Amino acid sequence: MEIKKVAVIGAGVMGAGIAAHISNAGIPVVLLDIVPKGVDNRNAIAEGAVQKMLKVQPAPFMHKRNARLVTTGNIEDHMELLAECDWIIEAVIERLDIKQDLYRKIDSVRKPGSVVSSNTSTIPLRDLVAEQTDAFVGDFMITHFFNPPRYMRLLEITAGEKTRADAVMGIRDFCDRSLGKGVVDCNDTPGFIANRIGIFWIQVAILEAMALGLSVEEADAVMGRPLGIPKTGVFGLSDLVGIDLMPHLMESMQRTLSKDDPFLAKSTIPELVSRMIADGYTGRKGKGGFYRINRTAGGKVKESIDLVSGEYNPSRKAQLDSLQASRQGGLKALVNHPDKGGQYARRVLAQVLGYAASLIPEIAENILAVDEAMKLGYAWKYGPFELIDRLGGSLFGQLLESEGLSLPPLIQLAAEQSFYRVQDGQLQYLDTSGIYQDVVRPEGVLLLSDIKRRSEPLAKNGSAALWDIGDGVVCLEYTSKMNAMDPDILALMREAIGIVSKEYKALVLHNEGENYSVGANLGLLLFAANIGTWDQIEEMVEGGQQTYKALKYAPFPVIGAPAGMALGGGCETLLHCDAVQAHAETYIGLVEVGVGLIPGWGGCKEMLQRWMINKRRPGGPMPAVIKCFETISTATVAKSAAEAKDYLFFRPDDGVTMNRDRLLADAKSRALALADGYQPPQPIEISLPGPTAKAAMEMAVKGFHLAGKATDHDVVVAMALAEMLSGGDTDITESLTEDDLLGLEREVFMSLIRHPDTLDRMEHMLETGKPLRN
Amino acid sequence: MKNIVIAGYARTPFTQSNKGALVKVRPDDLAAAAVRGLVERAGVAVDDIEDLVLGCAFPEGEQGFNMARLVVFLSGLPVSIGGVTVNRFCGSSMQAIHQAAGAIALGAGEVYICAGVESMTRVPMAGFNPMPNPQLAAAMPGAYVSMGETAENLARQYDISRAEQEAFAVASHQKAAAAQAAGKLSAEIVPVSGVEQDGCIRPETTAESLAGLKLAFDESGSVTAGTSSPLTDGASAVLVCSEEYARSHGLDILARIRSFAISGCAPEIMGIGPVISSRKALKRAGLSMADIDIIELNEAFASQSLACVRDLEVDLAKTNLDGGAIALGHPLGATGARITGKAAALLKREDKQFALATQCIGGGQGIATILEAV
Repeated sequence: MEIKKVAVIGAGVMGAGIAAHISNAGIPVVLLDIVPKGVDNRNAIAEGAVQKMLKVQPAPFMHKRNARLVTTGNIEDHMELLAECDWIIEAVIERLDIKQDLYRKIDSVRKPGSVVSSNTSTIPLRDLVAEQTDAFVGDFMITHFFNPPRYMRLLEITAGEKTRADAVMGIRDFCDRSLGKGVVDCNDTPGFIANRIGIFWIQVAILEAMALGLSVEEADAVMGRPLGIPKTGVFGLSDLVGIDLMPHLMESMQRTLSKDDPFLAKSTIPELVSRMIADGYTGRKGKGGFYRINRTAGGKVKESIDLVSGEYNPSRKAQLDSLQASRQGGLKALVNHPDKGGQYARRVLAQVLGYAASLIPEIAENILAVDEAMKLGYAWKYGPFELIDRLGGSLFGQLLESEGLSLPPLIQLAAEQSFYRVQDGQLQYLDTSGIYQDVVRPEGVLLLSDIKRRSEPLAKNGSAALWDIGDGVVCLEYTSKMNAMDPDILALMREAIGIVSKEYKALVLHNEGENYSVGANLGLLLFAANIGTWDQIEEMVEGGQQTYKALKYAPFPVIGAPAGMALGGGCETLLHCDAVQAHAETYIGLVEVGVGLIPGWGGCKEMLQRWMINKRRPGGPMPAVIKCFETISTATVAKSAAEAKDYLFFRPDDGVTMNRDRLLADAKSRALALADGYQPPQPIEISLPGPTAKAAMEMAVKGFHLAGKATDHDVVVAMALAEMLSGGDTDITESLTEDDLLGLEREVFMSLIRHPDTLDRMEHMLETGKPLRN
Repeated sequence: MKNIVIAGYARTPFTQSNKGALVKVRPDDLAAAAVRGLVERAGVAVDDIEDLVLGCAFPEGEQGFNMARLVVFLSGLPVSIGGVTVNRFCGSSMQAIHQAAGAIALGAGEVYICAGVESMTRVPMAGFNPMPNPQLAAAMPGAYVSMGETAENLARQYDISRAEQEAFAVASHQKAAAAQAAGKLSAEIVPVSGVEQDGCIRPETTAESLAGLKLAFDESGSVTAGTSSPLTDGASAVLVCSEEYARSHGLDILARIRSFAISGCAPEIMGIGPVISSRKALKRAGLSMADIDIIELNEAFASQSLACVRDLEVDLAKTNLDGGAIALGHPLGATGARITGKAAALLKREDKQFALATQCIGGGQGIATILEAV
């Protein structure tokens, strides 16, 4: 089935967010809600939702123009619009009668074979379809998105016994490829997978923190980094999602779970939490939550609630020996530690992981679905069964026993073995009958981690590795901390050019880190500057310039395949590629001015050339220069791959992949398509206006300085950038080669790195992770 | 010497740049709309028209080529009419009137269309390719000084507080809103693309709402977006002809041009330009400020206007009766024809004797025109 048009009914946060994300896939979407009372505009709710989404951050739309794909309306006047839709998503209030009534209306207008799904998180599918026609039941399923729909990768699908298999396939495929979701099949059980375990985890972690006398900071610190869980832990997470949601979720779990479910023993809302909700302390959307920002007395103080007294006090960094121990010894050291942090980790892990293990096969067929759901829906680095493997089966068994919990059959089955293993380079998992099965990736998914499990690198050093990814394509992976660019990566790039030239067809720049690359290794640079080895720094700058240039003119195509952040020196690698296949969630920018520098590895040069040859820019010598100046001097970072095209970080024909797991495969096909009859690009020369352009930019910079929008050192850096982008001491009648521009870039870069205020910026960034506004 | 009169005034709605209702209308089309409206309303015999003089501050892009000539074509006027585009920045279309008056006085034709236009949406201020002379910029930074900075300079030099500027801006919006509500503006407006009303006027503006705005140009200054004229799209046009011609052809004469003047000043305080130019024009007319009944003083900025008010001893009760540029907008090239045409129309409407239209010009100039009732 092909999905060409979608409808979402219910323009609340979830419904509107789902509609926005469908538009992100380039698919037109109808968004309907009820007709509000006492308002002239009958479409006010849906229209208002779209308007609001254009303003909020993080943005639900990947590009503002996507809003034009959303047709707004109401369910009284516009139901006939559903007749054109291939998929109709219901995301209205969680009331069975309202949903059932709406389904009858939908069924009367929808086209035969269209799929209807509910975004419910609490109502069983069997109840939803209880009174519907056979045709409707066959076309119906639950598609459970997570908030916010653009950013949360998990999508839980629950099909009924009578749901058409091809309908499930069609929706799964669309959500996977077009929406970029990690689709997990769930059984029709309360809370499906992620919330069943996730809410239990939050609740247990809150109750145990109270019982053991941990502060919220301590609890979140233990739950966070050592377990591979986002640093918001449980209390910060509750603030984020809204504390008032908890009683609703608990109530629905109490109503729908079987009476002997261990969840129910933990489902009482603590008195403090009830009081917070009653007083409006519902989290970040309310007056504050377990944490709040106290802005009285003109300041901005982060405070935490005392779980005993309910009073707020200034937040303090958690200081626990167990946390210290976990830094060296990892999860095991934490769990084995006698202090309250260790005790807390033991109790929470025993209960939560034990509960998760007891739920298979009730909620899902196998451990893969459960681990996937927790990783994609709650951003855990490791799923419950991966965590058990990290603890070791026997240690986990002891944990359960010491907490007085029984061993679920699955844990007994795993006994002395692990849930996952690698056999002959193939990842396998333990199924419910105790047999290892291969982890099979869907067609079109190519993971570097799988390749790494089964092969040896073609070359590697401390910061990068080179992998044969098949069909004559090689992948260059960065392995340095935060994938920062450094001389080792540059060296391996040069080596890669030799290897690929001789024996392969194409090179892909890709890694599976959270971020493609956060930029050049600032620590190395600052160290060299502090000991005054300027020649060495200049060599490093020139080395980078020449390496990237060599990539650009290599006799084979080079494809960038970034995801996450691609900043500074990382962005510059991509600017030199023949083509980019980017994950939709790529955040790219030249941010060097933040540390008092300008792009020095050909970034200025490439941006100038891109804008110069851009056919859609206004004519004349200045617009290209001004565009580059605006983008680089403000350290602009595009907030999506779509936005990156506006800034020409990506070219109009660069590819975008919605599903991160499909990125490498897409990049590889792109590389192979280009490899056939490949010709390296022809070098181009450009003419720049020289001093007149610098004078024009100086006028603008002075204005920003006067208005208080640019600091003293901003002016220094911006003027250095202006020197570079204007072409230096040139004239519009002259033309500049690539090497002329690189020379100028280097010269300006070297003038800045000797500036003490630049060094202060670099040092501040390394120490605090934030830019210094000097 | 021949008497020169203004025998017609029309303009398009003025709307905010980048978000207003006219963002999609090309400036040459805007100007043509104003010209067509003027010609129809004035009832002038088009074959008698000598030339179309069109003011524009940034004549490039869609405002490029010789836009005046193209506006002749776009307006459906006979090809026998000439077209010349003139640039004196904000004074461009008042300059157009002066050039026409001078030509008619010398016997070089009887009837001229003097128009002005700026789409600050479609051609940004400073144009697409600002390329200052680097030597001049270094030796004389004021040559390219930003307009906001000049407003701050005058606020400091004349010690004009933020509150005074804001009171002035509120009054401008109130006067414009009242005029709009009373239908006093529709007489001069030619609808374009279904847009019939000005878009910049904010009747709800109060001293409190302005006090909350951020400083726009200087973090230690006093000028905000609320006390500056907004970026605007619009066009205006007046019919300039010899009095003899107007009378013999039964045209509706609004006012006679009594005198005009240009003056220069330091670019850093360009906003004070109207003072010298008005004094020169008054002297040429043999009048004093006390004789003037109607004043159209362009409100580039409140601080700049108030500085002129102080030096010229302007009576605010006679000034900008239907609001000024802070409320109505300031499409650079179109403003001169608007305030001159408006002053002429007000002389007639209010049944007064003398009017002054004057404005400041970036780079440090002033321009002024004195009109009298016929």
